[in-house]
Amino acid sequence: MDLKLLLDWRLHLTVIVTSMFAEWVGIVRIPLGPGTLLLLPLLYAFIIGVLFNPHLFSAMGKVIPKPVSNAAGPIILIAILPFIAKFGSTIGPAIEQIIAAGPALILQELGNLGTMLIALPFAVLVLKMGREAIGATYSIAREPNIAIISDRYGLRSPEGIGIMGVYVVGTMFGTLYFALMAGYIASLDILDIRALAMACGVGSGSMVAACSAALAEAVPASKDELLAFAGASNLLTYATGLYISLFIALPVTEWMYKRLNGSRQEISHENS
Amino acid sequence: MKTHESTVDQFDAEALKELRPENQLGKTALVLAAVCIAAWFSNIVNGSPLLDALPGMLILYVMVIIGLVVGRFCPFYLPSVAWVSLISIIATLPFFPGNGWIIARLAEVDFLAVVTPVLAYAGLALTGREFAMFKQTGWKLVIVALLVFTGTFIGSAVVAHVML
Repeated sequence: MDLKLLLDWRLHLTVIVTSMFAEWVGIVRIPLGPGTLLLLPLLYAFIIGVLFNPHLFSAMGKVIPKPVSNAAGPIILIAILPFIAKFGSTIGPAIEQIIAAGPALILQELGNLGTMLIALPFAVLVLKMGREAIGATYSIAREPNIAIISDRYGLRSPEGIGIMGVYVVGTMFGTLYFALMAGYIASLDILDIRALAMACGVGSGSMVAACSAALAEAVPASKDELLAFAGASNLLTYATGLYISLFIALPVTEWMYKRLNGSRQEISHENS
Repeated sequence: MKTHESTVDQFDAEALKELRPENQLGKTALVLAAVCIAAWFSNIVNGSPLLDALPGMLILYVMVIIGLVVGRFCPFYLPSVAWVSLISIIATLPFFPGNGWIIARLAEVDFLAVVTPVLAYAGLALTGREFAMFKQTGWKLVIVALLVFTGTFIGSAVVAHVML
């Protein structure tokens, strides 16, 4: 990507003004049933960003031309890095607590298998999806998971289309959804807040960020501890998550798909 | 059908290229400076004034650069995110020299303020390709995706809750 585009002042100035405005609005709390929805500045920043996006609103091309908008893509990967460094700095001071919680941290990776238990039957039995359900539900569909599917089936296969769909939804709404869901579940006060923090570690950098920030806002007293757990969990996801999805999640999803699909065909035979 | 295939191909090639910021260190260092400035300004509102936060932002900048350099020259592959995280953990461990000073400087930088600009970039970066793919994959995959996120999160949280 051209350096001139990457350093375009209009892009960075728009981001600075947008972020400062979003920070100024601050955190908004909305009571909803038994819990509370937390709206974080990052949510407003994203929405304002989309409103300035020339691909959606061509009039915005005057502020941010399309090539400049395209340059923002690779910038995201770099922009998340200072945040990751800030994140890591919460883990160092809390290292003793993290080691104490070690087994929970390592085994919660297995909880990722919860993905397919809910999503796969729904996709196959309710939405009548085909093999794209395998790609869509075997993992949380971030980059390493895409690499696995692309290696095994190719991205143009039904499985590839499934994972790309979830990836795109994740890119567009994952961060926002994680922030809303995590804050809400924390406010219900059913599960240990540290367990929720570990569960935040499953996604991409921005998902982890939004998720753990929402938790930290829900329970400000244990902010540092929560960030440390989420960060440690995210790190372990890189170490172990790939192998769990490759050697456990994908084979189990394949197997479950065959079972579910078999029962679906039996039912339709009986009906016909 | 044809347009669809080319969208996926495009994604494939671009995604692989974009995934490795450590492969073009010079360019990354400049872009990193720009995004750090954005975070630095974003931090004014709920963090600290510019001058107070400057050492903290510089520390973050240096940590990222060290992480990328290590990632670039390491004989095996780990995503740059993992390296940056490791560097920052090591620098804040209790036995690391000057860890107290580093932690105090970083405290001037608000956690949320650093991530707000990232989402602004993300909103600006969505391409016609992503909007188009989103329309194509349709509402079914949106529902499935939300179930996937919920399932993963609750699954992990329940396992961790039982283990704690």
